Amino acid sequence: MKLRNYWNLRDAGAQLWEGSNRKGRVTIALSAIVLVALLPFAGASFLATPIAAYDAVLVYPVGVFVLMALGLNIVVGKSGMLDLGYVAFFAIGAYTMALMGTLTSLNTWQIMPFGIAFAMVAGVLLGLPTLRLRGDYLAIVTLGFGEIVRLIALNSSWTKGPNGIANIPMPPDIGPLEFKLDDQKVFFWVVVVMILLTIWMIRRLSIRRPGRAWEAIRQDEDVAELLGVHTLKYKIWSFSLGAAVGGAAGVLYASKNLFIAPEMFTLNVSILILACVVFGGIGNIWGVVVGATILGYLPDRIRFISDARLLVFGIVLVVVMNFRPDGLLPRKKREKIGERAQARL
Amino acid sequence: MFEVLIDQFWSLTIAGIALGFIYVLISLGYTMVYGVLRMINFANSEIFMWGTFGTVITNRDIFHYTQTSEPAKGWKLALVLISALLMSMFVAALTAVFVEFVAYRRLRMKGTNRLATLISAIGISIALAELMRLLTDSRPVGSPRVLEKMILTEVWGANIRLDTVVTIIAAAIIYILLERFIQLSRMGKAIRAVSQNEDSAKLMGVNLNRVITVTFLVGGLATGAAGFFYITVFEYTKFNIGFTMGLAAFTAAVLGGIGNIRGAFLGGLSLGLLEVYASAVLGTQWKAVTVFIVLVLVLLFKPNGLFGEAVQQTRA
Amino acid sequence: MNSKIQRSLAVVSAAALVFGVAAATNAQAAVKTYTIAYQGPLSGGEASTGIDEQNAVKYAAKLFMKKNPNIKIKIVSVDDQGDPAVASTVAPGTGSNKSILGVVGPAYSGATIASLPYYKAGGLVMISPSATRVSLTDPASPDFGGPVFHRVVGKDDLQGPALAKYATTGVSSAKVFVFDDQSAYAVPLRGFVEAGLKKVAGATVVGGGDSVPNTTTDFAPTIAKIKTSGATVVIYTGYYSQAAIFIKQLRDSGSTAIFAGGDGVFNQEFPKLAGASAEGSRITGVGGLAGISPKLEADFKKQMGVSSGVYSVESYDAANILLEGIKAGNTTRAKMLKWVKAYKGKSVSGNTIKFDANGDISYGLFAGFTTKNGVLVNTGIIK
Repeated sequence: MKLRNYWNLRDAGAQLWEGSNRKGRVTIALSAIVLVALLPFAGASFLATPIAAYDAVLVYPVGVFVLMALGLNIVVGKSGMLDLGYVAFFAIGAYTMALMGTLTSLNTWQIMPFGIAFAMVAGVLLGLPTLRLRGDYLAIVTLGFGEIVRLIALNSSWTKGPNGIANIPMPPDIGPLEFKLDDQKVFFWVVVVMILLTIWMIRRLSIRRPGRAWEAIRQDEDVAELLGVHTLKYKIWSFSLGAAVGGAAGVLYASKNLFIAPEMFTLNVSILILACVVFGGIGNIWGVVVGATILGYLPDRIRFISDARLLVFGIVLVVVMNFRPDGLLPRKKREKIGERAQARL
Repeated sequence: MFEVLIDQFWSLTIAGIALGFIYVLISLGYTMVYGVLRMINFANSEIFMWGTFGTVITNRDIFHYTQTSEPAKGWKLALVLISALLMSMFVAALTAVFVEFVAYRRLRMKGTNRLATLISAIGISIALAELMRLLTDSRPVGSPRVLEKMILTEVWGANIRLDTVVTIIAAAIIYILLERFIQLSRMGKAIRAVSQNEDSAKLMGVNLNRVITVTFLVGGLATGAAGFFYITVFEYTKFNIGFTMGLAAFTAAVLGGIGNIRGAFLGGLSLGLLEVYASAVLGTQWKAVTVFIVLVLVLLFKPNGLFGEAVQQTRA
Repeated sequence: MNSKIQRSLAVVSAAALVFGVAAATNAQAAVKTYTIAYQGPLSGGEASTGIDEQNAVKYAAKLFMKKNPNIKIKIVSVDDQGDPAVASTVAPGTGSNKSILGVVGPAYSGATIASLPYYKAGGLVMISPSATRVSLTDPASPDFGGPVFHRVVGKDDLQGPALAKYATTGVSSAKVFVFDDQSAYAVPLRGFVEAGLKKVAGATVVGGGDSVPNTTTDFAPTIAKIKTSGATVVIYTGYYSQAAIFIKQLRDSGSTAIFAGGDGVFNQEFPKLAGASAEGSRITGVGGLAGISPKLEADFKKQMGVSSGVYSVESYDAANILLEGIKAGNTTRAKMLKWVKAYKGKSVSGNTIKFDANGDISYGLFAGFTTKNGVLVNTGIIK
């Protein structure tokens, strides 16, 4: 029992959180944020990644994966719809940045709202006809949508086809914080801020009407509909909010990468992000963060086994899912702790 | 725009049907498992890929055919083809059962969420593809020609080739055998019972584990047969061919109504034809886009696919 | 409590930083070690290209170390999977790893463009053995790789016309069907082939062409188009594995049109995969090690345990430029860049390597190869 508890960081963490007062919570949250913000300085420790630059890995894949996994989690985790085409929104954001960045004189922060808006519009356009579908049918339709976006980028001349778009401008400096290629700390901090905003948004929505509607839809759509929840509306909301996060991630990615090409937006990305969500603990924000961090970081950390690293990655997915089917930090237990804490009050 | 379609209509149609039959067999692998477990067997694409290597190994390493040797004739031909077919089916079925055992069984016993199983299946399919990549050094593998691709006759300006005819007839026979197996055998009935209602089936004394293993086995056999036909027609395989073929076959299964065996048949054939016609009219680069748009349109009007869900409905 | 944890973590990470730096500077011994990198696809779907190229680089380093026992060469394998997304995560690491004096690679143009900003920032010289996209050395293009980018391979606008000419040699009023595999390599090359065909007397482009994604194995629709267009020559600008599947299907369909392909098809695996169907195919390519010096090839096989691959000559040349630079004492990045810019030497193929202001070599002659009895045979330089 004792040993189990020791391993059970999730419950321990939840207990600590639920057990603290407001001041305690602020301290925990702030120190966690500071610790994360200091991560780029830990490049020479055991965390270092061979070949790939550690600070770059922290931005992409790790940071961007966390952001996208949080966005996808709104769709898959909160309202229980299986979306296999999430990369489409990422691609729309990235192409918005690439096209507007190279054709207009707007900077990254000015383009960001456009990227988010286009992704949301795409989310609504896709959602309206298809969200009546359920389960695996929705999965294949979203998968198709993801492929269509990539193929249009590949086959059109205004996206420069397979050549991709180069020379995308970097974001302008924020005060003393300079965006640099060989030191990507600032990019990482921007991603962290975006992740925090997303977490804040999800937490706000979860305890309000949309969150309750999503929860109802996830548990039983028919019952929810019967009880007067406007399911289609909330499903589209969840879809386009997820899309917005994906679009924002895409804008930042393009601006960090300086070059994008259609081959960066394959189905594999969608699957990988979904894996992040499920691996970490579907529906639980912290689980998703942990899952995306591990799955983004692992392939670069284990580059020393270079040729077999994807094999190892696949085996890790199987093993972890078999032994922790609800992910590393599952949702259920955490909710239970909350209930217990409330019962105590 | 349509001149190619008009000019070459029958050759395109025949090619589409042959391709369609390969899709039919692979989508059986998806549909069978879906019918019983209500789950996409994501690893089916890699089961197919492993199946193709069964034929390559038989042709190349057991019967020692090379790229320059003469195609087989007479009894020898039948012997080689049948052994290759059986070998592919065996390899794929073995892989399928292995996948079930490693990626599905434990999770199913625990009765956990479907997404965990999906990710587990994705994990095993990455591992299977990567293992084959390491074994083949990332290189494409050609298969020697065993079945001579002679032109038998010409119908409406289209060449009727031996390999196409063999593929269409043999694939149809395998499909019918499987369908009869599901319809008539005791095991088939058990599979249908489980897909209708797992709990009642258990109450009726159906051994659930055995049924599920057999379902994967049968799905693997069909997928493996598809691997054999794929090699016979294209004489080429690589560790990454599973993805494209699997995606197409999965689309076919959904198009027909996933879980429905006859749906897989019609879905596979329609998809084969659709791909070929769309490529001819719009250019091959728009093939995938057309397929997905058609899929969305079909699902909008028939949300359960063209022929509805579930194995038990094959009776209707 | 939390601030304590923070502080100790900061201390630990600072200590780790210091130790890491110390460990790096300690590795100086009597035998001097210098590092160069090879960047290309070493895993993933394109891995065979990268493994072949890296073998040639390793071979060059092996020969060099035998001749210069007091210099040890370390080769860092930078695996970008040929994928620009991966390239942009590995390139910052290579760019900021100051021990790396130069890069052989990247193998692919897309990965090159994704890596460029980091190498430009780090002043790291690159010599690619196989990135042929024209825009890389075009100062007017956003993809321009100067001053760090160089290549020892002819670019697409040389190859396109050469391929067009070679494919139509001896064919009067050729009707040519051109198609690509939708890749970033094949689509631009197809453009240059079509432009080149305009200059070939009597040749016309027919059928509107096609773009076949490189995962396709069923070429029936493309073949239908070829038959409808009545083409006498078919040019494919993609890679050898797809070409092998295609040519088999084309021949099986009863067509006898001439098949031609670019350096993506140029691989001895092509006739091996395609068998008899490949006979008479016309491929433009660069002379591989085996074609240029059977003696060197035999030694390569002895030393490396495998035969040399497609871009072995280019990779070997590229590595040698960097290695000679190290021998000449150019052991900083700035000096190495200068050395490469001013380099004048002989390729193993006998040509003179000298880079122009944009990083292109002065030669770039493509040879025509044809398949005879299951092997690609050199028919000489295309003029």
